[in-house]
Amino acid sequence: MASQSDPTADPKRFDVSKGTLRLDNFMTHFIKVGGVGIILAVFAIFLFITWQVLPLFESAKVQEEAVIETGVADFQLVGVDEWGELPFMVDIAGDFTFVDIKRVDGETLVLGPLGVYKVTPKFADEVTFTAANYHSKSEEVIFGASDGRYTLVKVEYKPVFDDRGERKIEAKLKADKFYPLGKGLGAVRVIDYYDADKDRLVAALVEGDSGLETRATTFQRKKTPFGVGPWKPAKEYDLTSQIEGHPIKVLVTGQGNGVLVSTREGSVYSFLINQGEISLEQVFQPFEGLENPEIGSMDWLLGNESLVFTSAVGDNVIFAQYLPELTPEEEKAGVERKRQFTEINQLPKLDGPADLYSHSMRNRAFLLGSGPEASIRYGTTGVVRWEKSLDFTPKAGILGSRYETMLLADDTGRLHFYSIHDPHPEGGFKAFFSKIWYEGQNEPKWIYQSSAADAETEPKFSMVPLIFGTLKGTLYAMIFAIPIALLAALYTSQFLKPEYKKVVKPMMEIMASLPSVVLGFLGALWLAPIIDTRFPSIMLIMFFLPLTALIVGYGWGKLPQRYRLYLRPGQEFLIFIPLLIGIALIGWNLGPWVESWAFVYTNPDTGVATGDFRLWWPEHTGVSYDQRNSLVVGFMMGFAVIPIIFTIAEDAMSNVPQFLTSASLALGASRWQTAKRVVLPTASPGMFSAIMIGFGRAVGETMIVVMATGNTPIMDWNIFSGMRTQSANIAVELPEAPKDSTHFRILFFGALLLFVMTFVVNTVAEVARVRLRNKYKTVG
Amino acid sequence: MTTAAPSESPAQTISSPDEQYIQVKDFSFWYGSSQVIFDQTFDMPKQKVTAFIGPSGCGKSTLLRCFNRMNDLIDGIHHTGDVQVGGESIFDPMLEVISLRKRVGMVFQKYNPFPKSIYENIVYSLRVAGRSKKSELDEVVERSLRSSALWDEVKDRLQDSALGLSGGQMQRLCIARAIANQPEILLMDEPCSALDPVATGKIEELIHSLKRQFTIVIVTHNMQQAARVSDRTAFFYLGKLIEYDETQKIFMNPEKSQTEDYVSGRFG
Repeated sequence: MASQSDPTADPKRFDVSKGTLRLDNFMTHFIKVGGVGIILAVFAIFLFITWQVLPLFESAKVQEEAVIETGVADFQLVGVDEWGELPFMVDIAGDFTFVDIKRVDGETLVLGPLGVYKVTPKFADEVTFTAANYHSKSEEVIFGASDGRYTLVKVEYKPVFDDRGERKIEAKLKADKFYPLGKGLGAVRVIDYYDADKDRLVAALVEGDSGLETRATTFQRKKTPFGVGPWKPAKEYDLTSQIEGHPIKVLVTGQGNGVLVSTREGSVYSFLINQGEISLEQVFQPFEGLENPEIGSMDWLLGNESLVFTSAVGDNVIFAQYLPELTPEEEKAGVERKRQFTEINQLPKLDGPADLYSHSMRNRAFLLGSGPEASIRYGTTGVVRWEKSLDFTPKAGILGSRYETMLLADDTGRLHFYSIHDPHPEGGFKAFFSKIWYEGQNEPKWIYQSSAADAETEPKFSMVPLIFGTLKGTLYAMIFAIPIALLAALYTSQFLKPEYKKVVKPMMEIMASLPSVVLGFLGALWLAPIIDTRFPSIMLIMFFLPLTALIVGYGWGKLPQRYRLYLRPGQEFLIFIPLLIGIALIGWNLGPWVESWAFVYTNPDTGVATGDFRLWWPEHTGVSYDQRNSLVVGFMMGFAVIPIIFTIAEDAMSNVPQFLTSASLALGASRWQTAKRVVLPTASPGMFSAIMIGFGRAVGETMIVVMATGNTPIMDWNIFSGMRTQSANIAVELPEAPKDSTHFRILFFGALLLFVMTFVVNTVAEVARVRLRNKYKTVG
Repeated sequence: MTTAAPSESPAQTISSPDEQYIQVKDFSFWYGSSQVIFDQTFDMPKQKVTAFIGPSGCGKSTLLRCFNRMNDLIDGIHHTGDVQVGGESIFDPMLEVISLRKRVGMVFQKYNPFPKSIYENIVYSLRVAGRSKKSELDEVVERSLRSSALWDEVKDRLQDSALGLSGGQMQRLCIARAIANQPEILLMDEPCSALDPVATGKIEELIHSLKRQFTIVIVTHNMQQAARVSDRTAFFYLGKLIEYDETQKIFMNPEKSQTEDYVSGRFG
């Protein structure tokens, strides 16, 4: 070839342009940055979530902030305001000694301008007090007098702001009248009370004619639109005769309708007042099995549901009421089920009986002191949050109502101020993964109930029901999706004519991009009611379709060649589709008939028998039937997962090298034999990936489960009950969780579990996939 | 292109004492609308090696793949005329294509063992036929491997993966696999094109020994190979059969000038 200019004359023809090199260099680094960036981003997300979650597993930090000399050594009890700035000590004369505390520069605690000052309430009478008890919830001190009467002194705290806008706490004392516990009584030794709206129950150990008597007295007051009337004695109960041994402590129960009396001998007597009558409900020994069953202390936890006991040697248990199951004999005898106290938790031992106790007003934390030993414990989980052997012996102590401060007073009258940093006492591995006997339950359970009607109900943060729900939803979805998706992929890649495949594949891919909120919406509002009303039809269809396909397929294979010629290979579905639609219609219409024949429910009241699966199922299996159930989720989530598994598995099967399928066919294998013996093993790594990616999608799927599951965090495999998955839980609860609260962090913990779960699943899947690929790798 | 009778008929039926085993009759073949085989008619004798030669795109491989209907996998094909094996039309709608492929074995251009053991590769055709008696399978494995001159090399590692063999061994394994079920005809589509000269030599020896048992049709680009292994040679050009005769005649004294140009290396 001759050209006008000789190309070999160009000396630059072997040069590489700088631009090419620069671009190559730039792209190499750009891609590297992108890749490393993604790894870093994932790692950073993981770190961030972990960082949010870690505080849940930290124990309490308690620091001594100040020691203040008050000079009051003979005090009976200590109390403190909400802010921890104006604590008081009460001596047996009824004098209140307030200690004004100020925080300087937000740091150090010093004595405030008012210093230590004594206030004596204006008591109605001059009497000698013999007992005192402080209720930190109502900020009231009840005094029992030597003449069998009692009075209440309310400590009214009020924050006031001075000219400079600084907050100061002021306290006013308001003493009530004296009320008699009964006639002819002497000194009150132990006293407790409970105020309901219009009723008051006071229980006390009082000196009487026959020694120490156990008394319970009710008071009532009228409530009118113009205010409340004075308390008037209503009824007196003398419980002395019903108690064996020496009573040492009384407590009034949480609803103000019961009295608990503990004796020196180690028994607790539980009385219940019902319509003006008091009855002994239960006598129990919290330390029954011990050598020395004596009770060292007995106190309420927040909510007055759980009792904290310590034994004479420092064992620490928590008791609460439950409803025991009746034995068959009892049931026959018509015994009524009664709530009984039982041990729900056992905590680490102290050195001796608790001689100081205070519970938090925020949560189930409580303070126990035994000699110089002090510890803060958490009732629900039974975990010691903090403990220390002090260099003094505290005589009384109290936890601030916000669970941020702690006050210990030693017997020389010194007040020790502590700050508590324990934002998440409810957390910990035990709370998240162990069965816990919660108040009001009949046995230890895994329960997730993050918020309750009121602050005094304990939140239940077990992760187990959520993990269970996630797995349950995923499992039902996968049971539905895997067979359909894999068989569809096999059919499309190996049997369907390529011209139809060109239509089917993109359609499935469009299905994969359907927003899951649409699927959830359809599931909840369209599919759930259909399944609800026509379950037997659905069941019949699901049974008939595969059966018909098998029978027709078998028959087709047996048909002589000349009839089979009417359809070319890959077009057989043309006869299947009308056939299957017909069978589905038959199943649909047969459903109600089957229901009225097989699922007959007889109404026990009217005796009318109706065919209704929804009523039949709970009757015959004992498990519930919900409209938003796992079947709906299985269908809908399966629908979301099928296209993903289908697409990836179909690719894997289509990518089996043609030379292998050709070799198999040339050796006289049929299409199915080739599919089974060559395509499936060779494509198995890809199919495995497909299933795992589908699994990952189902585990993380949120909108469908939020809308179609009912979000009930219950734990049973019943296909007709709902569930709550980790992801749905986060979606539902995050908007109502205050930032940095325990609840908030627990949702992050759920996210972390989800992250770890998918990470583990994906890693296992990848390892398995690589092994499969090495096993079935092909030449070339 | 149409199926109209061509001006010069390439039909060259050789009269010989051999039984005419594969008979191609007025055969034309289309991929979609493009015709790749034009009205060919010729016969191949039993227990002889027939070589198909010709430049790339002459339709020789397509014709070969018609013999066991491997082209069925391709969309939009059609044909006129007929191909008969042992007197039966392979396009008979009543014929099961699976049984045809059991009669007509095939060895592919690129060795394609399954990702299974050597043993399982060889017994594949028996397994899909539902034969699984251990003693029978063992016997078939040994006989096939001996026939393909591979027995001594692999007898101690029959359960190892076939993918651990060398290229030449794999191709001989594929031959052993193809003859395991005793087909009547063995189609070989450029069986040595991916092999080195030593392996090629072994395969050629093998073909020599196999023709006692099988009717072999081999497609090759290698003139020397065709000359060495085949009894008869068919030369194709642009989908037409130009010349078909005894191999010696084709190479020493071809009738057509096109054939002479090709075998002497002047084009192709």
